[in-house]
Amino acid sequence: MQPFKNPVTRVFLHIGMLIAVVYSTLPFAWTLLNSFKTKKDAIARPPKISFEPNLTSYKDLMIESVPENAALIVFVLLAILVVLVLLAVKAKRFPILNWVVVGVLAIVFWTIPNFVDTAEIYDNFLNTIIICVGAIIISVSIGALAGYGLARYAGFAAVVLVILAIGLRSLPRLGFLLPYFQLGQSSGLYDTHFLVILALVAIQQPFTIVMMGSIFRLVPPDLEEAAMIDGASRLGAFIRVVVPIMWPGIFAISLFTLLVSYQEFLLVRILTQSNQTLTVGMSAYVGGLAVPGSIPRQSGAAVLSALPLVIVLLIFQKQFVKGLTAGAVKG
Amino acid sequence: MNRKTFFGFAAPSSFVMFVLLIFPLVYAIWLGTNFITFNTINEPRFVGLENFQTILRDPLFWAAMRWTLLIIAITVPTHLFLGFSFALLLDQFQGRIRAFYMAALLMPMIVVPLIGMIVFRQLFDPPGLFAYIYRLITGGIFVFTPLSIQTLIVIHTIWIYTPWAIVLFFAGMQSLPGDQIDASAIDGASRLQQVRHIIVPHLRALIILAAAIGIMDAFRLYDNVFALTRNNPIFGANTIMVFNYNVAFSVNRLGLANATAIIATIAIMVALIPFLYYMYREQIEAR
Repeated sequence: MQPFKNPVTRVFLHIGMLIAVVYSTLPFAWTLLNSFKTKKDAIARPPKISFEPNLTSYKDLMIESVPENAALIVFVLLAILVVLVLLAVKAKRFPILNWVVVGVLAIVFWTIPNFVDTAEIYDNFLNTIIICVGAIIISVSIGALAGYGLARYAGFAAVVLVILAIGLRSLPRLGFLLPYFQLGQSSGLYDTHFLVILALVAIQQPFTIVMMGSIFRLVPPDLEEAAMIDGASRLGAFIRVVVPIMWPGIFAISLFTLLVSYQEFLLVRILTQSNQTLTVGMSAYVGGLAVPGSIPRQSGAAVLSALPLVIVLLIFQKQFVKGLTAGAVKG
Repeated sequence: MNRKTFFGFAAPSSFVMFVLLIFPLVYAIWLGTNFITFNTINEPRFVGLENFQTILRDPLFWAAMRWTLLIIAITVPTHLFLGFSFALLLDQFQGRIRAFYMAALLMPMIVVPLIGMIVFRQLFDPPGLFAYIYRLITGGIFVFTPLSIQTLIVIHTIWIYTPWAIVLFFAGMQSLPGDQIDASAIDGASRLQQVRHIIVPHLRALIILAAAIGIMDAFRLYDNVFALTRNNPIFGANTIMVFNYNVAFSVNRLGLANATAIIATIAIMVALIPFLYYMYREQIEAR
């Protein structure tokens, strides 16, 4: 629809939008505020808006004890961070450096517990990374193949696969989870990353192939046909021609996979005992009804658990929105 | 692409879906006909259809079913309406300001639903902001009763699903037929008439899709009930999923829980058959 031109109407539009913004962000603002309070400030009535901020809840959540050479460790970490930022800026000229940056980050994350007495939330963070990365790699690679097939083949089998996928997506999770639980218990895979990754791949596969199908339909078939005339096989043409063109779309779908894997609560809760993700680790801070628990601690844990995903998705907001709509607009 | 190549490309994905989705579903039916607890997890005892009968006679199951259907009846139309209105509003802005508003509106979806509910709840806990405002307005104290808990769950469900509807409708509005809207404006159609007669029909398929996804997801509600009540049944807020989880892990009857899951699966399939048929027709026509 045409935008309104009248300045008074524009003001009202902005007011309406700001109401919507408050509606979606006020609860988070309140929790963020709570996480910087002391216990006493947090239960004050009327609720305090201004107070002296304090970081105790974060410190307690992240480390068990302050190491003796804390200054040195912080200095080394900052130095590594500066080097990485420099590398990332230069990375445009040397593409291989991207992988160096990722590798160094991984080594840093995995060696920190050797020097600092980290709390449980840190283990949960590492588990989350392993599980999300594993699920994305497997789900996207097999989903892309099937999606490409759906985009290029118009036979009856493709229709059956799409309808089956949509039907499977709609089923309640416990129908699959209880058998997984049973099979995991009897095969000894229970409480391993492997089982959680497999389960996450499986429950997302139906939607992934539908989304992949809709993005690959946007590639004109002439491109890979040209490559095939030059002697490439169908698979070779797909990997060398179609995937590079559609890389932004594949990346967008990976972000969607990340969202679902990160947020999954019931599945991870049922299939793990000790290797929990951030989302499930968070359930330890859910108090009963009568006792709200320590509010600053609960708020701090909520902020820390939600932050990694929020940062990633807000950086790639544009691609993420595109990924969300890929499955919907056509398919 | 011929049939054989298609099967080759679809094979890895179909294999995963068959082994990890269809096979477990069949296995769940078999487990549902057995008596299994955690102690006897490897030696199920066959009891026939007894589990299914027990569940269908259980008043708590029907209460959970009614509550889930009530959630669907309230939240699906509301979040579609809100999502549509916000998308229309968002469409009025351009460039950076639009990206900012979009980011803010996406927040309830990006933050993990479990944390979303904890965050939501903090507003209503005794020291929270809304509990305070409630006391200022009514003079009474905000307490968690079955009614207030159910209301909170409904509001929170609407809150987390609205962003998805916004994104969907907003994307649909980018491909509106501009010439039709211009023509209708010249003929003197008001903006409300444009929405009613051009935009809504244009987004029809998306609205049906969003409604179907809303129904599927409402059948899956678990996180927010857990965060608010820790699955305590006295608040009458247990959805099908929470009831099912309790049967498995509190009552410790895996066979019974599998039977419940199968019945829930059948219920949702029946509810979605019209939608699946619509999709099937559309796919056949698109061929």
